[in-house]
Amino acid sequence: MRRLPVYLLIDTSGSMRGEPIQSVNVGLQTMLASLRNDPHALESVYLSIITYDRDVNLVFPLTELPSVNLPEIKTPESGPTHLGEALKLLCKRMDMEIEMSTEEAKGDWMPLLFIMTDGKPSDLQVFRNVVPEINKRQFGNIIACAAGPKAKEEFLKEITDTVVSLDTTDSSAFQHFFKWVSASVSVGNRSIGAADDMQLPPPPPEINIVI
Amino acid sequence: MGKTITIKADDGATVQFVDEIIGSGAMKDVYFSPDKTYVVAFFRDDVDYNGQDRLKTITEVYYERIINKPGGEYWKKLFCWPDKTVKYNGKVGVVAPVYRNCFFFKYGSKNNDFLGIKGKEKEGKWFASASNQNRFLDKRERGQWINYFRICILISRAVRRLHAAGLAHSDLSYKNVLVDPEGGNACIIDIDGLVVPNKYPPDVVGTPDFIAPEVMATNKLKKDDPNRSLPNINTDKHALSVLIYMYLLYRHPLRGKKVHDSDPQKDEELSMGEKALFIEHPTDDSNRPDIKNIKQSYLPWADVSKVPYTICGPYLKDLFDRSFMDGLQETSKRPAAAEWEQALVKTIDLMQPCINRGCDQGWFVFDNTTKPICPFCKTPFSGKLPVLNLYSSRHGGKFMPDNHRLMVYHNQYLYKWHSNRMVFPNERLTDADKKPVGYFVLHQNKWMLVNQGLPDLKDMTEDVEIPINSMVELTDNKQILLSKEEGGRLILVQLVG
Repeated sequence: MRRLPVYLLIDTSGSMRGEPIQSVNVGLQTMLASLRNDPHALESVYLSIITYDRDVNLVFPLTELPSVNLPEIKTPESGPTHLGEALKLLCKRMDMEIEMSTEEAKGDWMPLLFIMTDGKPSDLQVFRNVVPEINKRQFGNIIACAAGPKAKEEFLKEITDTVVSLDTTDSSAFQHFFKWVSASVSVGNRSIGAADDMQLPPPPPEINIVI
Repeated sequence: MGKTITIKADDGATVQFVDEIIGSGAMKDVYFSPDKTYVVAFFRDDVDYNGQDRLKTITEVYYERIINKPGGEYWKKLFCWPDKTVKYNGKVGVVAPVYRNCFFFKYGSKNNDFLGIKGKEKEGKWFASASNQNRFLDKRERGQWINYFRICILISRAVRRLHAAGLAHSDLSYKNVLVDPEGGNACIIDIDGLVVPNKYPPDVVGTPDFIAPEVMATNKLKKDDPNRSLPNINTDKHALSVLIYMYLLYRHPLRGKKVHDSDPQKDEELSMGEKALFIEHPTDDSNRPDIKNIKQSYLPWADVSKVPYTICGPYLKDLFDRSFMDGLQETSKRPAAAEWEQALVKTIDLMQPCINRGCDQGWFVFDNTTKPICPFCKTPFSGKLPVLNLYSSRHGGKFMPDNHRLMVYHNQYLYKWHSNRMVFPNERLTDADKKPVGYFVLHQNKWMLVNQGLPDLKDMTEDVEIPINSMVELTDNKQILLSKEEGGRLILVQLVG
């Protein structure tokens, strides 16, 4: 049984303090509960969460869904958005954790990556250096979420074509986003359309996809 | 709670739903009626003229032909058949009955339902996976092995009915079949994608795990390319075989260790498509599951040397061989749904309760050996085990073997479909024929057949009539006539052990 690695990169910079981070926590809990109701996801999904502000923090490494213990995610009083460093850690973790196929054994499915930010990378130099590293790696999908009015989509567009933007960073916006994430993760056992290969379920109406 | 919306269905009936999505599938969002007796499911995308015409045909023409006629009550249980089409806010939808209570988890998962699935739908994938069974499900939800045979009979029967009407389901999967292993029930849902050959093209290619090899192999071609294979009755047959294999053996018949490409997506396309290979192929073992790389929770089911498909008995073995060897490439070799139904019914007659009360599966299929052993808990059967070989009359007094055996256990019933070849236990069975005509008991260490409703019952070996309410002992090599009617059967007793 192949594993489906899912990485979540979550912005915990100072601006996320208060309602936004509360909403992210609620959203993550809901997402986890809904994935645990999905017999297909329980068998295949492995989850890892990385948060980033001034520091980059591996909340937990790639862990099978039933064993995931979700701690509360906190933000510092203030702090920049070190998205570049977070992506660097992601590359390191992926090199360690992803099992590639060999001639004898099947490896993992291509990982899914979700990146959420409410601003723009403060470590621009590091970010610029790591983007080619990310682009070199194979992903099943990368979905970036620009949350709130201050989020800058153009940086995210360097990593992926799929950028969704949330108008606000309140609980209902995040709730819908994480619902969408869990639907994207459990897309594996859904019917496949005959017309074209549909990868993502349609986003909820609150989200605008920036292409 | 959302507000209640009242609309008129296309047939003029009043339809109400509460404006709050209770579930979303790949194409539809589903809403409850206020009294929760039916659901309204709206397609998220536009439904074109053909699509609307298809829905109309399913809810009107085929609803009348299959559900709304004498005998339809039986099919109502096996299908969640939509009976109306509706339009609201530019969206097209269908109205369908709610699922029966038995299709929602009563206990859910282990440890006081730690996954929180109590009250959720019993999607087939919970049961078709060894890991989900072993690690998560509450024992009370899992049901005994014999119930999975009953479930497979119901699914085969439902698919047989669709195919008899010229319809293909086109997306059979554990997602679209609800099962209740505790009670032995099954129900086919998502009927609105039905394909009428040459009339309505399918709008899905299927669900991973169940897509037929020829569909997988040509999935990259344009939809109107003449070489592209799309779902039809033959691809349903493939999906049905996979479903049955998975419900009985909790593993996938084509997912083994063989690597076809280092890219997982390409590997998936090849191993489910062009290069599909049965994991238990007798002469090519290159796709056997690699036990070293398999997690404990998948065992013993993932180990095909410990739990080979032959434990399902000779009738099913033949059909699995046809499905997963020749039938992968040659679609005409795939068994029809009716063949599965018959083979499963016959296999139930070969089942024996395990004498180990703690056995997880509770039942096993007699393996035609003189020393039967439960393949799951390895407990050998002790004592004498009567095996009845069924013969039936053709051309007058001549009795020919039916390739049908009946295993005897204490308090087992004998039915009309055993005493007469012309009777088959399916939806056409009359209420009178559902009553047992006899039963078997182990009485003072002797196996007896008690006659309850067989006027012609006769011990041919001793030349003695056995009137109703009397009994006859089953001894080795004894011949017992069950019925003198046309198709009436004679049994030849073998005592094993």
